[in-house]
Amino acid sequence: MFIRAIRTPLGAASVSIIVLIVLVTILGPILAPYDPLAQDANHILSAPSSAHWLGTDNVGRDVLSRLLAGSPLSILSAAEAVAIGFALGVIPGLLSVYLGRVFEWLSLRIVDAFITLPFLVFAIAMTALLGNGLQQAMLAVGILISPGFYRVTRAAALTAASSQYVEAARLVGASPWWVLRTHLWGKVAPAVAVATAGAMGAGLVIVSSLTFLGIGVQPPAPTWGGILADDLGYLFQQPFGPLYPTVLIMLTVGAFNGFADALRDAAGIAGHVRILGRTRRPQDAQTTATPEATHV
Amino acid sequence: MSRQKPTVALIALAAAGSLLLGGCAASAHASGSAPVVLKWGFSLPTSWDPVTSSTGNDINTISLVYASLTKLDPKGTAGPALAESWKYNSDGTAVTFTLRPNLKFSDGTPLNAEAVKESLLRGQTQADSLLKDQLSTIKSITLVDDRNVTLNLTAPNYQVPNLLAGKTGAIVSPKAFATAKSTAGIPTNPDGAGPFKFKSFVPESNAVLVKNPNYWDAKDVHIDELDLSVAPDPSTVIAAVQTGSLDVASLPATEIAAAKAAGLKVDIVNSLQVNQVDINSTLAPLTNARVVDALKYAVDRAQLLKVANAGVGSVTYQPFPKGYVAYNPTLDTEFAYDPAKAKSLLAAAGYKPGQLKITITAAAYSQNTAVLVQSQLKQVGVNATIKLIPVGSSTWQQSVYLNRTAQFALDGTVGRESPVQNLGVVYGPTGLMNTSRSSSPEFLAALAQVQKTPLDSPDYAAVLQNAVKIGVLQASSFSLYSTPRIDVRSPKVSALPHFLSQFRWEGVTVTK
Repeated sequence: MFIRAIRTPLGAASVSIIVLIVLVTILGPILAPYDPLAQDANHILSAPSSAHWLGTDNVGRDVLSRLLAGSPLSILSAAEAVAIGFALGVIPGLLSVYLGRVFEWLSLRIVDAFITLPFLVFAIAMTALLGNGLQQAMLAVGILISPGFYRVTRAAALTAASSQYVEAARLVGASPWWVLRTHLWGKVAPAVAVATAGAMGAGLVIVSSLTFLGIGVQPPAPTWGGILADDLGYLFQQPFGPLYPTVLIMLTVGAFNGFADALRDAAGIAGHVRILGRTRRPQDAQTTATPEATHV
Repeated sequence: MSRQKPTVALIALAAAGSLLLGGCAASAHASGSAPVVLKWGFSLPTSWDPVTSSTGNDINTISLVYASLTKLDPKGTAGPALAESWKYNSDGTAVTFTLRPNLKFSDGTPLNAEAVKESLLRGQTQADSLLKDQLSTIKSITLVDDRNVTLNLTAPNYQVPNLLAGKTGAIVSPKAFATAKSTAGIPTNPDGAGPFKFKSFVPESNAVLVKNPNYWDAKDVHIDELDLSVAPDPSTVIAAVQTGSLDVASLPATEIAAAKAAGLKVDIVNSLQVNQVDINSTLAPLTNARVVDALKYAVDRAQLLKVANAGVGSVTYQPFPKGYVAYNPTLDTEFAYDPAKAKSLLAAAGYKPGQLKITITAAAYSQNTAVLVQSQLKQVGVNATIKLIPVGSSTWQQSVYLNRTAQFALDGTVGRESPVQNLGVVYGPTGLMNTSRSSSPEFLAALAQVQKTPLDSPDYAAVLQNAVKIGVLQASSFSLYSTPRIDVRSPKVSALPHFLSQFRWEGVTVTK
């Protein structure tokens, strides 16, 4: 599925950008030409030059170095939230098909409750309660992402669990764990992969939004959202300043979403996969599935 | 054709209506009855009650609805306001204020000597009053007649007319505090005798005020309605004034060129504003005097002024700006930036580079300054972390002034009407900005000496500047730089008058 996805133009372009971003995330602090915290009071808000390719900010820090240094915090925080959402959503999603009505009812009600909570407000409340840190904020975001994973996983598992070959396996005495591992996971994994890629994009938007608001990170630590917030205060002096973090955020989110779409097409998943409110539509116009039947 | 007739009739009716309404509007303009509205983006006071207001900045908005006994002139000298004159006794232990005739509160009740007495007594006695310290200089109040009231003082104090030019002398209608229930309502429903009176108020959002015809100087108020709202984000102030959402707003120094380029007017007004670091020397490791002195030498004030305030203002090592009577020029070299000396002081205090850790507390809008200071401290081997306090909340007052949990707070004073009052706030034993809450007997004696020196005495400036020097040299807290007040206004608003201590709207006009 992955190979098929990256052979499409969309998949190839998306994966190229993601690989680039991952490299920047790993090597960014090494590649940064200056200390991202070093200030130069004699060169504040300077235009791009050979010394500072993207110019300097309001306290004379090199913008390129700050963007590079801000990548790990931005990307890894999004990945952390997605990992938490994955763990809290996929496992209960699978188990809800197998552990009987009580667990199914309870887990569905919890998921329903979490879906009603707004992301930013919940994250802000968590940081107020547990302290202003990205770990706390990402825990909150991860918790609220988990219903998306739960519903995607449960829908795929329900469809597969009612298949004849799964029933046949049960009739011949296969254990639930064996059925889960051998038959179900293979059917669930593509949908979960699509959801994960999409959630990464959405997670990055949330991380950027929180750091834009100054939540989760203490200055002067650089983050893409924080750099954007700082630059917006100096639009007159440096109108192009906000463009750099904005383009980075847009490119990265777009790449993850594009990759999710390519994965979905490669997996041949019909219907919609929704994570964090974004609906992915299949490009296969031949599908006969109704949105109501497959909307998860 | 028959279906078109009603349409034509409707159009004709609408046209006639439009003409009629237009005619009405035109006649309203012609008769000059359209109200003159000014929209001001600033901040709302922590309380509309001068007795419970908890920041000096509140005077700018509280003075919209309250008039004080006196008023400072642009140079900071007390002049007539509700009181048309005053006279001290021979030894400075009593001062008699003579009120203007026929004064009234905005609620229509008379503003006489009895009302002044009751209002000042409330400030002295109300349990949650934050004016108690300032008013403690008054031993008793004697009514001479309906227009004359004598304040008997605990000791000679020639600062009283200045003191009563601000919140301390803002007179509240006794009708407003006649009962406990009505008193509790003053913070959101003020009742004074200022240039405006309340029309509506939405906490944390805006207040609409209309001209008070009972104001003693109502003839100089040319604004019918003043819409006060919380200032927008600094980056959008210019757009707000350009689009007419606001007519007047405070402007960051970094935006002056942008505002002028946008065709707006910028007023740079001398003020008493001084940025300061509040050091709480009761919190370790700042209990060590060498550490505190090291921090004073480690901060490069000129760099802060240049980067954080676009170079607009002046470096100062005292809580007063250059040119003010209290400014002591001999302090110009005290604690000047000297990183080598800071390092040696830290070494003498037993700290190796990187060992000393402190927390910088700053309001979110001072983030730039905090980041700069953090970097400067790092250069002398101090590891500082930054704690930002959100804008618009009362967390600052709680954590810095009341709970005093901040070791190193980036603060600032807007000044006070009396220099002694300002010294008390910054260095006094109960001063809000003196988070250490301690003062030496020498400093208190110097303050007392200022109080008993008449303002027209040839010794006054020297005595006052001596108190400033003692305060600066002995206090843990230290000053950074003074800044003027910078306002942006629509070209339709006339220039704002230059008052050191507060916004005033008398004489301001708005063209339609």
